[in-house]
Amino acid sequence: MPVFFTGSDLDVKRKLKHVDCGIITFCIMSVGFIGAGQLAQALVRGFSVAGVIATHRITASSPDTELPTVQQLRKLGVNFTTSNKETVSRSDVLFLAVKPHIIPFVLDEIGPDIEDRHLIVSCAAGVTISSIEKKLQQYRTSPKVMRCMTNTPVVVREGATVYATGTHAEVEDGKLLEQLMASVGYCTEVEEDLIDAVTGLSGSGPAYAFLAVDALSDGGVKMGLPRRLAVRLGAQALLGAARMLLDSEQHPGQLKDNVCSPGGATIHALHVMESGGFRSLLINAVEASCVRTRELQFLADQEKISPAAIKKTTLDKVLQQPGVTADAVGVRTRGINIFNNTSPKIKKN
Amino acid sequence: MNLDAQQRIGFIGAGNMAFGIAKGMLSGNVLPANIKVSAPSSMNLGRFQELGISVTHSNTEVVCGSDVVFVAVKPHMIPRVLIEVSQHITKKQIIVSVAAGVTLAMLEELLPENSIVIRLMPNLPCLVQEGALLFALGTNAKGADGALLLSLLHCCGLVEEVPETWIDVHTGLSGSGVAFVYLFAEALAEGAVKMGMPSALAHSIASQTVLGAGKLLRDSGKHPAQLRAEVCTPGGTTIYGLHTLEQGGVRASVMSAVESATQRARDLGKK
Repeated sequence: MPVFFTGSDLDVKRKLKHVDCGIITFCIMSVGFIGAGQLAQALVRGFSVAGVIATHRITASSPDTELPTVQQLRKLGVNFTTSNKETVSRSDVLFLAVKPHIIPFVLDEIGPDIEDRHLIVSCAAGVTISSIEKKLQQYRTSPKVMRCMTNTPVVVREGATVYATGTHAEVEDGKLLEQLMASVGYCTEVEEDLIDAVTGLSGSGPAYAFLAVDALSDGGVKMGLPRRLAVRLGAQALLGAARMLLDSEQHPGQLKDNVCSPGGATIHALHVMESGGFRSLLINAVEASCVRTRELQFLADQEKISPAAIKKTTLDKVLQQPGVTADAVGVRTRGINIFNNTSPKIKKN
Repeated sequence: MNLDAQQRIGFIGAGNMAFGIAKGMLSGNVLPANIKVSAPSSMNLGRFQELGISVTHSNTEVVCGSDVVFVAVKPHMIPRVLIEVSQHITKKQIIVSVAAGVTLAMLEELLPENSIVIRLMPNLPCLVQEGALLFALGTNAKGADGALLLSLLHCCGLVEEVPETWIDVHTGLSGSGVAFVYLFAEALAEGAVKMGMPSALAHSIASQTVLGAGKLLRDSGKHPAQLRAEVCTPGGTTIYGLHTLEQGGVRASVMSAVESATQRARDLGKK
């Protein structure tokens, strides 16, 4: 029997953060998403199915109301608004679910509205905790910031999430985030410098799997199977194997051996894969994704991106928000300073 | 000579390297009562205790009670540990670091001036007393210190003193080399499975093949090419198999593997 608390008293909320109802934990915090795209949608779906938070306690905002994901979010019962400031005021836990190059705009916009209760969780690849803290410290001495890297299967509650804790976030903030994200898959804390590697592996990982299933099903089709069946069987094979591995103490190499009967079909197939350098391809893929994440972070830290990197329409909409000025978000006529350390009023060339 | 029987040995860190080295020393002349091991958690200490070795959670206790101290913690822990125990280290003690990528210069910077430091690079088969251990002497370490270490470790496997520049190569060759051999053994077994042999049998034969070949190579004193030729009957199975290996460019791959591992060791040592 679910129990809802409507008290707005901060202490009540803090003390009764989680009410255990058997397996399901109801979070009485309010959650907000800046950004209403794929990530926000996936997380909201996952949270909703998990029952970890009631969707009417979730707010999402985006300047672009035409996004298909916005429709979906509305259908799920989320409060949608075009005002990021509104999201901030309605939330305790604030997910920054926008593309990395939008983050600085968002931080400048909501910076003044952040209060002590807010826990900022950035999901932006390559954006460091320290860069976010530096930005927010213009407005608040001890902003509570965390950084997480998740992946799309949160939508089916089989996500892989890691998080790193910022300077002013407490242990209990980490636990709160962990409980939220654990409701939609695996979640663990890591040191921030590992997040790029996680991006390369499980961030991009689902794409590798989709590619694999696509190709496997081509193989099935080549050998006579109807496409739909081939896709179904390919996906199920990967799913089943992953489940076996996660449930087993054994090394994947051992599990592989268990499938290979002597002189049989599977070992023949594995030989073909080894001949093609399958293993090293996967290693290279993870490495490439991780390296690119670092490159993107480096570019961001260089503090200069071209205006062409941001859709003009999006920028226009952001600038139309009440209280947002071109100065405040650091827009210059040529090049955009992402992390402007000086006062926003001073124009730099 | 029972040079080593009287020495008190300490280990900071209770992982596989420490265990392997300790076991090797016990096979020699060192008594369990003369060994002490420290680790922050009790997780790995049990297997030392089973050998009659005393354990503690205090690194300082190990340092104060030992003549030779093996620092067997992960490389990134080295600074913290050495700073912790630095003040207790005397001019007479020998500090032996087992950390990959941590140079003598780095170690000597963290320790008191005039400390006797030796950098040791073992490998995993120390666990079965078939290790390959190379060591390099620090600024204040004398030949006698090297000789002592050699006598302590001789039961761990092959032990040699080398110039420090060769230690990275040794890491690539023998530290990582062990994993290359495992990869090879796994592939041998899979080949056998493909040709109809059950997996478990294939694996145990693969490992015995590697072991046996290794023993023959070490003990015969012959060049590997010579031994290879001795196995290859004209037009026989082996030469066919070898041809396939050569076509796969295995030699170049292996050389490159040693090269990348060595280069990585060098890069880590520069950071």
